[in-house]
Amino acid sequence: MHKDLPIDILSAVEKPARYTGMEFGSIVKPEEETDVSFCLAFPDTYEIGMSYLGFKILYAALNGVRGVQAERVFAPWVDMESQMRERGIPLSSLETSRVLGDFDLIGFTLLYEMSYSNILNMLDMGKVPLWARDRQIDDAFVCAGGPCVFNSEPLADFLDFCMLGDGEHIILEVTEAYRAWKKEGKPGGREEFLHRIARIQGVYVPSFYMVRYHENGTVAEVRPRYEEVPPVVYKRVEKDINDLDYPTHPIVPYGDTVHDRIMLELFRGCSRGCRFCNAGMIYRPVRERRPEVAMQLARELVPATGYNEISMFSLSTADYSCLEPLVRDLLQEFREDKVSVSLPSLRIDSFSVKLAQEVQAVRKSGLTFAPEAGSQRMRDVINKGVTEQNLLDAVSAAFESGWSQVKLYFMIGLPTETDEDVLAIAHLAQAVQWQYKKITGHYGARVTVSVSNFVPKPYTPFQWVGQNTKEEFDRKHMLLKNAFASMKNIHFQYHDSRTSLMEGVLARGDRRLSKAIYRAWEKGARFDGWTEYFSFDTWKEAIQEAGLTMDFYNSRARDENERFPWEHTSCGVSRAFLYREYEKAREAILTHDCRRSTCTGCGVCQKLGVRIIDWKGKEK
Amino acid sequence: MKLRLQITKESGIRFISHLEYLKTLEKAIRRARIPVAYSQGFNPHMKFSLASALSVGVTSRCEFLEIYLREKRPLAGLVEDLRHNLPMGIHIIRADLADDKAPKLMAAAAGASYHVIIPCGADPASAIAAYEAAESAPYTKHHGKAKGKEKNKVIDAKAYIPAVSYTWNGETLELDFDIRITPTGSMKASEFLELLSGSFGLPLALTRADIARTDLYGEDANGHKRPLISEEEAIKD
Repeated sequence: MHKDLPIDILSAVEKPARYTGMEFGSIVKPEEETDVSFCLAFPDTYEIGMSYLGFKILYAALNGVRGVQAERVFAPWVDMESQMRERGIPLSSLETSRVLGDFDLIGFTLLYEMSYSNILNMLDMGKVPLWARDRQIDDAFVCAGGPCVFNSEPLADFLDFCMLGDGEHIILEVTEAYRAWKKEGKPGGREEFLHRIARIQGVYVPSFYMVRYHENGTVAEVRPRYEEVPPVVYKRVEKDINDLDYPTHPIVPYGDTVHDRIMLELFRGCSRGCRFCNAGMIYRPVRERRPEVAMQLARELVPATGYNEISMFSLSTADYSCLEPLVRDLLQEFREDKVSVSLPSLRIDSFSVKLAQEVQAVRKSGLTFAPEAGSQRMRDVINKGVTEQNLLDAVSAAFESGWSQVKLYFMIGLPTETDEDVLAIAHLAQAVQWQYKKITGHYGARVTVSVSNFVPKPYTPFQWVGQNTKEEFDRKHMLLKNAFASMKNIHFQYHDSRTSLMEGVLARGDRRLSKAIYRAWEKGARFDGWTEYFSFDTWKEAIQEAGLTMDFYNSRARDENERFPWEHTSCGVSRAFLYREYEKAREAILTHDCRRSTCTGCGVCQKLGVRIIDWKGKEK
Repeated sequence: MKLRLQITKESGIRFISHLEYLKTLEKAIRRARIPVAYSQGFNPHMKFSLASALSVGVTSRCEFLEIYLREKRPLAGLVEDLRHNLPMGIHIIRADLADDKAPKLMAAAAGASYHVIIPCGADPASAIAAYEAAESAPYTKHHGKAKGKEKNKVIDAKAYIPAVSYTWNGETLELDFDIRITPTGSMKASEFLELLSGSFGLPLALTRADIARTDLYGEDANGHKRPLISEEEAIKD
C-alpha cells in the first residue's frame, strides 16, 4: 500500500487504483526476513505491465526464494508524476512503499524502445543516480531484461548489467550472488559484484566493454576490458519449459488490465521465420509445453485466480501441436465453472477460424488476421508463407460462421517495396469485402485495415536495410488514403510515421545514444509510445545535441560487412544465416519452418546446446 | 438460498471503482468455490449483488453482498472459504443465510451513516446550526450533459440529511450524519460537504475529505433503524 499518497492526490488522478496495490496474490514479506530486495520495474502503465507474462514469472520466481522480496513499480502517468514532483514524493513500490533507490536491485523490462525515456524518469523519481558510473556502493544496481535487451546499447550508460534470454534461473543466480556479496560486506565495491555475475551465462555488463568507432561513425571494434569477460555474451535458454515453475498464483489486479485473464503459455519461440520479426529470432528454438502439463497448470490457475477466461498464450498459438485436443479438454474440464478459452491470435487458415468459432460461445467484435503485406511478392520477401487464397479461405470460414467484421494488419516500408505492393493492400482488402458478398449475398462486411510502418530490428534478416524516410512513409500513407477513399465500409487506419522513425533509431542504436536519451528526457520526453505525449522535435533536438543524426541509425542501409553495435550480446542466431535470409528475401525465395521439417541452419540449437521440443504425433 | 454478507472496503483499496469492486468479489466467489447460481441463457452470469453502490474514495464497513446459491451449504463453511479468498482490504463482518424469496437488501436499505474527517479552518458551529435550522437546503446535482444541455436536478438536502453532529479541534472537523435512501434517490456524502462549503460558508478542504460509510440500515414499521442482517442468526467476525 502506498503510505505516502494522500487522498487529495489519489482523487485528482486518473485511475488511482494503479497506485494503491493490495491486490489478491501480491506478496509482502517482513522487513527483518528480507536479505535481498528486488524491484521489478515496468517502464509503462500498470495496466500494460500487469499483462506481461514475464513480469508474473519473475515475481513468482523471486518471491519463491526465502529471504528475497520482489516488489513492483510502474511508470506513474503524467498526472501522477506532476502531483508527486510538486510535493517531493519519491517513486516507491506498490508492496511496501519502499523508495526505488532503497532497493538492492532494480530490474527493468525492455519491452519496447519507446519506453526508454520512462526508465530514466522512473530512476530520477525514485532517487537513483541516472548514470551507472555515478552510483555508489549502497546505491541500487539497475539491470534489464526482456526482448529489447538484445540491443541494450542505447541504454548502456544507465544500466549496470543486463540479463539475456529466459529469465527463470538467471535472475535467481544473480540474486544469490548479490546475497553472498552483501553478506560478505560488499567487498571490492560495485565492480567486484559485476565481475562475479559476469561469469553467469547470459549476464552482460556494458561497462566491461569498450567500443571503438570508425571515422564514418560505424563500429570498428567492441572489446572486453578484462580477460575473463566473454567477447560475446550468449543468451540464457531453458532447454525444456516443462521443467520450469509457472506462476500458478499470480496477482489478480482489481481493475481492468490489457489481458485481464489467465495467461496459459503453450510454448516459447517461433520458427516460421518471418524476416521482419525480431521475436521470431530471439526466442528460438521452439519449446512446447506438454499438453498434460498445460492442463495441470490450468487446473491450478482457475481456482487460484478466479478468472473465467483462459487465454492460450505464445508467439503463434495456432501452431501448437496439440491445440485442438487441448482446447477441447479445457472446455470439457471447466464446463461447470463457466470458464471460457480464448486465442489471442489467429493463423490465416480455416482451421484457426473454426477453432475460434468453437471457443467463442458469444460473438465478439470480429476476427483479426495479419497478412502483413498486400502483394504475394512482398509476402514472399518477408517469408510470411501465406497466399491470397489462404486469406480468402480464412475469411470465408469466418463469414460462413456469422462474423461480418474483419481486421487486417499490414506493414509498409518493407524492403524492395514498390507503389504497386503498397496499393495491393487496398486490393486485398477489397477482395475480402467481395468475399463476404459472394458468401452471404449482402454487402456490408466491415473491413478494418491497420497499417504500421516497418522498423528494421536487430537480429533479423532486415538488420541491414535502411528504413523508409518520413517522406516515403507519408507518401505511401497518402497513396493508401486515396485508394481507400473510394471504398465503402473499409476503415483505414495507420500509425504516425514519426514514432516509427524514432523507434528505428533506438532499435539499431549504439551506446552514443545514451546521451541523446538523457537529453530527450531532460527536455520532457516520457511515454513516447503514447502518441499524445510523443514529441518528434524533442528527440530530433536531443539527437542533434548529442552530435548524432537520425539518418545514420534509421534510414541508412548497412554494408554486408558492417559490424553492428549489438553483436556482442547474442541470441545465438548466426550472422551468416541472417544474411543468407536477407539475400533470399531480395529474390523473394521462401524458407521453410524448421519446427517439423529439416534444419534451416540458424545455428541456435548447435550454438546453445538446445533442441526443438514439439509434441506433434506424440500425443498420448 | 442466499448467502448474505456484510463486508468492508478498507482504506487501502478505497480508490477502486464500484465495478472493480464487483469484479473482485466475483473472482473471490469463484476462487472460494462457492456454489453460486448462474442466470440462464446464452451468456450466463453469476447471480450476486451489492446493496448500495459506494462512491470511489469512500471507505466502508457496511457493504452488503447477496450471493444466490444453487445448493444448500452450512453457513460457517461458506464464510470460511470466502474469507480465505478475499484480497487485503476486504473483510467479512457478519453473514447469514436467507431464503431466496427474502426481500433484496438493496430494497431494504433505508439509510446510511457516514463519518467524515476533513480539515476545516474556522469554527463550524454557526454554519452547521444554520443548516440544521434551515427550512430547506437546495443542492444542484450535476448529471452531466444530455443533448448538449446541462442536465441538472435540484434536490433538498434536508429531505435526506435532517441532522448533523460534529466535533472540531481547531483544525480538523469530524462529522457524523445519516443519509436517507429513498426509492426516488439519495445524496452523496461528498455532495453534502460541497453544500456545507458552498451554501453555508464552511471553509472545508474538500479534496482532502476522508469519508467513511459506517452503516447501512433498514427501517422497521415505526421508522426505527434495523440492521440489514439481524444479529441473532448471523456469524460475526
